[in-house]
Amino acid sequence: MQTHAGRTMPPTLVLFLLLAGAAAGASAQAEPAGEALYRDGVLPSGAVLSGVREGNARISGSDAACVSCHRRSGLGSTEGRITIPPITGPYLYRPADERIDDQEVPYVGTSRVAHQAYNDETLARAIRTGVGADGRPLSYLMPRYELDDASMAQLIAYLKGMTPRHVPGVTDTVLHFATIITPDADPARRAGTLAVLDKYFLDKNAAARAVAPRLYATRPMHFRVNRKWQLHVWELSGAPQTWEAQLRKRLAAEPVFAVISGVGGATWEPVHRFCEEQGVPCLFPNIDAPPGNDGDFYSLYFSRQVLLEAQLIAEQIGERRDAGPLRVVQVFRSGDVGEQAAGELRAAGAQSGVTFENRVLRSTGSAEELRKSVSQLHGADALVLWLRPQDLAWLPPSPPHTSLVWMSGVMGGLEGAPLPVSWRAATRMTYPFDLPERRRVRVDYAMGWFRIRQVPLPALQVQADTYLACGLLSETLNHMVDTFERDYLIERIEQDLDHRVLTGYYPRLTLAAGQRFASKGGYVVRFSEPQGPKLATLSEWLTPEASRLSASAR
Amino acid sequence: MNSLRAAVLAGALVAATGSLAPAAAELSTEVPSVGQLQELPGVSRTRVVYETPEVRLVRADGERVSLARELDDGRPVLLNFIFTTCSSVCPLASQTFAQFRDRLGTQVSGVHLMSISIDPEQDTPARLREYARKYHAGPEWQYYTGSLDASLAVQRAFDVYRGDKMSHTAVTLMRAAPGKPWLRIEGFVTPDDLVRDYRSLLAAR
Repeated sequence: MQTHAGRTMPPTLVLFLLLAGAAAGASAQAEPAGEALYRDGVLPSGAVLSGVREGNARISGSDAACVSCHRRSGLGSTEGRITIPPITGPYLYRPADERIDDQEVPYVGTSRVAHQAYNDETLARAIRTGVGADGRPLSYLMPRYELDDASMAQLIAYLKGMTPRHVPGVTDTVLHFATIITPDADPARRAGTLAVLDKYFLDKNAAARAVAPRLYATRPMHFRVNRKWQLHVWELSGAPQTWEAQLRKRLAAEPVFAVISGVGGATWEPVHRFCEEQGVPCLFPNIDAPPGNDGDFYSLYFSRQVLLEAQLIAEQIGERRDAGPLRVVQVFRSGDVGEQAAGELRAAGAQSGVTFENRVLRSTGSAEELRKSVSQLHGADALVLWLRPQDLAWLPPSPPHTSLVWMSGVMGGLEGAPLPVSWRAATRMTYPFDLPERRRVRVDYAMGWFRIRQVPLPALQVQADTYLACGLLSETLNHMVDTFERDYLIERIEQDLDHRVLTGYYPRLTLAAGQRFASKGGYVVRFSEPQGPKLATLSEWLTPEASRLSASAR
Repeated sequence: MNSLRAAVLAGALVAATGSLAPAAAELSTEVPSVGQLQELPGVSRTRVVYETPEVRLVRADGERVSLARELDDGRPVLLNFIFTTCSSVCPLASQTFAQFRDRLGTQVSGVHLMSISIDPEQDTPARLREYARKYHAGPEWQYYTGSLDASLAVQRAFDVYRGDKMSHTAVTLMRAAPGKPWLRIEGFVTPDDLVRDYRSLLAAR
């Protein structure tokens, strides 16, 4: 048994670490009071943390919290030419030249800021007066904090507690990952996602195997470049309220460093909660209605998908508000994500003169039921279809009795949506991806990879997303060198995602602290021909609200 | 959109990149600001002429506006570039603007502070309004977003585009009146220095 940094541990310590359990991240053993100070800017007394910058600029509360610059991992960050140094125990308390050879202090780029070793006294002085261990002033960006002795002790204990320790799912030779499949996942997406993951992991490990010769060194080395990747497929069963317990059990039995991709159905909420509570990064699962918001930390999503579509439709309805009263009829199947999308649209589109009506189909229904749901419409109605391909194919051959029809591209199958001919010209489709001709080069790269490896393609877009997620994970781990901290993984993705050139179905991806959905907009399109996948764009790339005139401006 | 620079930057000659550059080149002075700390690069100041690009932005109150008209509204203008989820550089830049504003006292009605988002898809008008509240921004200080292309055009025109939002650097631009050159301040300028810069710029007007 070895620590992630490669040093052999005494058996008693190993036992202790195992008992410490699956959530042994950097913060697991930390002082709660120190953590509140570090992350939220709240003092042990409940008062807000307050600091002063050069020029007597006062900052307080969450703005003053250490986390905003030094990040949750404590490993710092870079922004332009600014480097925020790491402030976890080992980086502060050991001199730089000692750190270099220390296996327990992984290399992070931000540690290039050299400083003398701190002790409790000089650290407290630095935090209070802005004077470093070497007597020189700290960076202009670093505030000076007014902390009483007790609060200072809590903070310092917290920083000292942020030491590298055994990270679940990381051994000297293997990196363990899981992917999560819910029982209501679409079978084609499930098969497609797993096919990509299997091949990606196979590829990754084939490359490692090719470096056959064993490498020897006279002293322990920092970096182990040939850890194998192992995938654990966590297939859930039963009702959603039992999923969290199942996941906790799986995590205890098969510790993993992170969850990569995955497939969900109507709800992903329990999985999202599990990731947040256990502190496990859950990277870019394939789900149509991602839960959570920008304030969460461990779950990253490519896009808000149908919830984003709902906002796009709401904005277009908002633009028609001067055209008189409007009834918005939303059709969705009970138990599918259309229900959540309809709720989002209703909330986003609520305004005077607009009424909403839900027409809910039973979870397994007939063509007749569906046809009834799109009848009794008038010119002053808008129809919104939150329907899967099979339901679209059941629409009546006659055109709808309103010119205002929207459909979800995500649910309906994008340019492959089987809309009846008479509906094609009239139906506006929200399309939260880049347009087919514009994304071609980016997707072709994935397509070539699939073709060479003979990956079957039952759900192309979802599979392209899975491949993209794997690529981002691999790239980020390379940047992290051997610093296997779960919080740091998330922070590095936030930091590096902007640089990514091959962004698959998405025109661009960006994240930052407090951003959890990487692609923010979509197009409105319609079919341009009676047959085939050709689309005409009805809008530019829209990001909800950015492009909308607010009520106050009218 | 070529930004027309006729500037000397810390002794290095930067050639004008367009034919329309007015002969407005002035010598810049590298002014290490008082109290500036050693680890950060010093603050540098240059006089630069930029051609305002034809760009429509969305102001935080939701109004669609022309960049040129916002810049040329009659008041001297200070310009910076931020995004609301930025962790270290932008909060400080915004704080410097806020303190600058506070130090101007009653003269604040005569100045226009403009902060343009370099992450416009995330920074919706509502998010900008929330951010502006944190710094008690009044009518003297407005925030702008818009399409990604619009934001990029502005960033390129003022030579602050650094490839992506994570690579941005602290730049403050200041101009006394339309047609005058910009004072470009690179690095973290103190509010006091900014006030001094502003006063001398107005005095020279």
